[in-house]
Amino acid sequence: MILLKLISWPYVRRHLPRWLLTIAGIVLGVAVFVGIHTANQSVVYAFHQTVDRIAGSTQLQISAGETGFDENVLDRVQAVPQVRVAVPVIEAVVSTGVQGQGNLLILGVDMTGDRSLRDYDLDSGDEAVDDPLVFLAQPDSLMVTDTYARENHLRPGAKVPMSTMDGQKLFTIRGVMKSGGLTSAFGGNLAVMDVYAAQKVFGRGRKFDRIDLALKDGANLEDVKGKLEALLGTGFQVQVPSARAQQFDSISRVYTLTANVTSVFALFIGMFIIYNTFQIAVTQRRSEIGILRALGATRRQIRTLFLGESVVAGLFGSILGLLAGIAIARGMTGYIGSLLGEIFGIAQKADEISTNPALMIFAVVLGVIASVVAAIIPARSAARVDPVQALQKGKYQQLSAGENRARRIAALIIAILAAACLLLERYRIFFYVGDALALLSALLLTPTFAHLLARALRPLLRWLRPVEGTLAADSLLQAPRRTSGAVAALMLSLALVVALGGLTRASYDSIFGWLSVALNPDLFISPSQSLTQRDFRFPESMGPQLRAIPGIGDVQLVRDARVEIQGKPTMFVAADVADLRRHATLPPVAGNTEEMFRLAAEGQAVLASENFAMLRGFKLGDVVDIPSPSGMLHLPIAGIVTDYSDEQGSLLIDRALYKRYWNDNTVNVFRIYLSPGASEGAVKRQILAEFGAQRRLFVLTNREVRRYILRLTDQWFGITYVQIAVAVLVAVLGIVNTLTVSITDRRRELGVLQAVGGLRNQVRGTIWLEALAVGTVGLILGLALGALQLYYSLHISAEDMAGLRLRYEYPYPIALWLLPGILLVAFLSAIAPAETAVRGSLVEALEYE
Amino acid sequence: MNRLIHLNRLIGTLLLLCSLASAQYDFSLQIMDESENRSRAGTQQYEGTLEVITASNKVSVKHWKYRRIGSNGASKAILRFTAPAEVKGVALLIVNHTDRSSDQWMWTPAIARDRRIAAQDRSTRFFGTDFSFEDLEERDIDQFDYKFQDEESIGGLACWKIESKPKQSVSSQYTSSMLWIRKDNYLAAQIENYSSSGAHNGLSPVRSDKLVRRIRYSDIQNVGGIWTPRTVEVYDATRKSRTVLKLEKLEYNVPMKDEDFTLEALRHG
Repeated sequence: MILLKLISWPYVRRHLPRWLLTIAGIVLGVAVFVGIHTANQSVVYAFHQTVDRIAGSTQLQISAGETGFDENVLDRVQAVPQVRVAVPVIEAVVSTGVQGQGNLLILGVDMTGDRSLRDYDLDSGDEAVDDPLVFLAQPDSLMVTDTYARENHLRPGAKVPMSTMDGQKLFTIRGVMKSGGLTSAFGGNLAVMDVYAAQKVFGRGRKFDRIDLALKDGANLEDVKGKLEALLGTGFQVQVPSARAQQFDSISRVYTLTANVTSVFALFIGMFIIYNTFQIAVTQRRSEIGILRALGATRRQIRTLFLGESVVAGLFGSILGLLAGIAIARGMTGYIGSLLGEIFGIAQKADEISTNPALMIFAVVLGVIASVVAAIIPARSAARVDPVQALQKGKYQQLSAGENRARRIAALIIAILAAACLLLERYRIFFYVGDALALLSALLLTPTFAHLLARALRPLLRWLRPVEGTLAADSLLQAPRRTSGAVAALMLSLALVVALGGLTRASYDSIFGWLSVALNPDLFISPSQSLTQRDFRFPESMGPQLRAIPGIGDVQLVRDARVEIQGKPTMFVAADVADLRRHATLPPVAGNTEEMFRLAAEGQAVLASENFAMLRGFKLGDVVDIPSPSGMLHLPIAGIVTDYSDEQGSLLIDRALYKRYWNDNTVNVFRIYLSPGASEGAVKRQILAEFGAQRRLFVLTNREVRRYILRLTDQWFGITYVQIAVAVLVAVLGIVNTLTVSITDRRRELGVLQAVGGLRNQVRGTIWLEALAVGTVGLILGLALGALQLYYSLHISAEDMAGLRLRYEYPYPIALWLLPGILLVAFLSAIAPAETAVRGSLVEALEYE
Repeated sequence: MNRLIHLNRLIGTLLLLCSLASAQYDFSLQIMDESENRSRAGTQQYEGTLEVITASNKVSVKHWKYRRIGSNGASKAILRFTAPAEVKGVALLIVNHTDRSSDQWMWTPAIARDRRIAAQDRSTRFFGTDFSFEDLEERDIDQFDYKFQDEESIGGLACWKIESKPKQSVSSQYTSSMLWIRKDNYLAAQIENYSSSGAHNGLSPVRSDKLVRRIRYSDIQNVGGIWTPRTVEVYDATRKSRTVLKLEKLEYNVPMKDEDFTLEALRHG
């Protein structure tokens, strides 16, 4: 502590801007980690809270994925002796005509029994519903929370417009729930209506989404759960309410994983900046270290001093990062919430961030550890400083040839091990270890490559500006430690940019391909503007009515829903497979086109999307066990096709088979193929004229659907752009840091240059060229490492994240953009340090001379 | 028959019991039996006016038409709301059984849907009134055990005070009920229903029982030879609200058909 106060603190005060730049890496890493995680967690927490609040005193919930189930299941459940109360539920999110209020979560319940589970009017003596009989008798009855009523100036009797399956309708507020419990679900944007009215409003037919139940006193939860599972069969899930919330966690897993990668990478790159600064600090403070050593300080004390500094820097940086992260989370929560809602169609409303103390502590610890780890090597170097050499002014420690050789040999061995891991890549752990080893090898070789490249650049720099260029190149060659950290940070950042950019580009290419070839209907009729929202459904009878419209050549009826397969929510697409075959143009990834469509059309097989097969480990011919309300279906995979319907993979089955096993003839989307020569606009107008008034429907053209999917894709890759931005920012920080350190380090040298007649512009030019040289070296190494990282990224994406095999294609356009971009950034980063160098006191700089 | 609406079935005299009253014998079952016999009618119909008065004195009025066929617990009834306009057509079909709880279905014309009222929901309030769905059932007296308690006057009328408890096999929200049966015409003058969260069905009084509802019968008239209360008032002890049912155009033994008391009939009312 005393050494920190006496030695470190004055140094920090003298070099405050540099010290702040040093911790910027940690600030950024922790901020991104806390920001993304907190935002993500807030969304997940909001969903958990909504589920929890809605559950009330529910002990078990029965569902059959998103497909719902017949009403008679309720009678069977209610007949179980241990069940005290079992009530049906329909849940849907709708957008109302009330401005600025976003979506409203509608809970359809049977009010006669539901009060045993949910508290509607709480401890108030007054009724929440003015007249329960009128509430039940009138299907337009709504009961809203007092928050919603207050915010929208709604009183009992007020009308709320809502789009129903029968077109736009006005609903009447017939009850207001008092604050607390249930009413805080979905951020208070909650409305309750009669479950049977909800069936009609949302086109559910005679089905319920869920049954909520509570047990009689003394009944054992696990026993009753088992009994209900045996009674209802494999197509039903009997779960405690919290399990439903966990499904969300499972679905948003990929997103969380991506967020983790971003933040860890930011921290990782930040470590190099810390390493760089500490390494320079050791060089700069060698005389100070020499004096301390001469006065009797042990090597251990010197090491502890530097590590202590890194702890303080890490702590300070982490706390700043924490605050910045919370600010980021505030901005991102709404974005992530709407993104997950749109992509997965899951109801949640996250307005406020929920901070997790454990996460905060973890982030601070992570920041401190990153800082300490980055400082280990410089601290060790400091401890090894020879007091005699250190006290000889002007003598710099150079990297020894032995040290370089040892590093190169280690890098080579590690590279061989990384290559060996690729041979064992089917064991995923080896693949990841291989990636880490490849990175490590590249990092160890960075000083060598940086040196070689600097030497190669010397003639070019000299040709550009004989004096300034030579000085800049020599500066890089003579002080490899000063630049290697910045070069490594830049290399890693750019490698990340190339890998992510390449991955994004490959994904877009693949999605474009699928959109242009497979997604070929001319029009789509959906009950919701968002194609991922499945709360509203059409009756099957609309199909023939649509076919009768002039200009319509073919109509495909599609029902998609998430069902649980192997305990994981899986998207199910039920369509007339024979009809799909007529319009299918994309060759399968695996399987014989004719055979697979024939088997699937006969209901003897399923077609799996490529990502389903990859993520779940299924191959062509494997049998998938599909639980349905009518029993378990065992169907082989007859073909594997490219399909982007769902981010976690999908299964396509024939709709006739689906109807038989799920007893569900509703439709989510009608896919319309126009007759030759028919006008898209005219048919769209005709559909709207015929159904617009009586049905809730949106007619989307192929172009609009493509735009919608691309918008979702853009949103999904939004986090990738954040990653890229963070990577570039860290790289810039690295360059600024290096140059700042370099200027301070070379004050005497630059002072001498000016003293012997060097012009200010020559000094500026030297620093600018040095920055450009660092940028060029980092750029070359980064683009090369990026090529390798892209390979790993594509594999990770295919095997573990998206399940899509994407073509390896080096993102040359990105590389071409990076070239001038990074050089410009390097130049801009050099302006301030260059000005500091030329405006500093010459007397101070030449003090020693 | 310790429940509400069909209290007319309690009407009657039990002369035999008068003579036994002085004897050391628990004649409560005979009283109940006679009460049931006196109220027996092949069919019944009336037009009811329902007035719900909340604790804050807010009043709402509804009208319904009631028709019943059968008696002594083996009966079927349809109750159909006629006013106000918002609830017109909403109906309830009750199929009573002698050995178990009734089956009930509700019809909502606005969505053309019927829904079964689950047995578990019988304890809930009947559409905002102070009756519960269970109170609308007609149960055979054999589903209960009775115990004579005392003789007490209600509104100046001499009554037998009888405790009834549902038998082990019968499910009920009430742990016990206290019935005041008028000595002059064997009609119930008052019923108090009690409930406890603990176990019930034992014959010994449960001290922790809490009053849930009190039902009072008044405006007694002889209709077609059957003494019938024309006004029934239910008091909800928890909510402190009251519901008053007035029976108008009351008739007994009007010709009715079984097929008018089916789900199909409920839907097409």
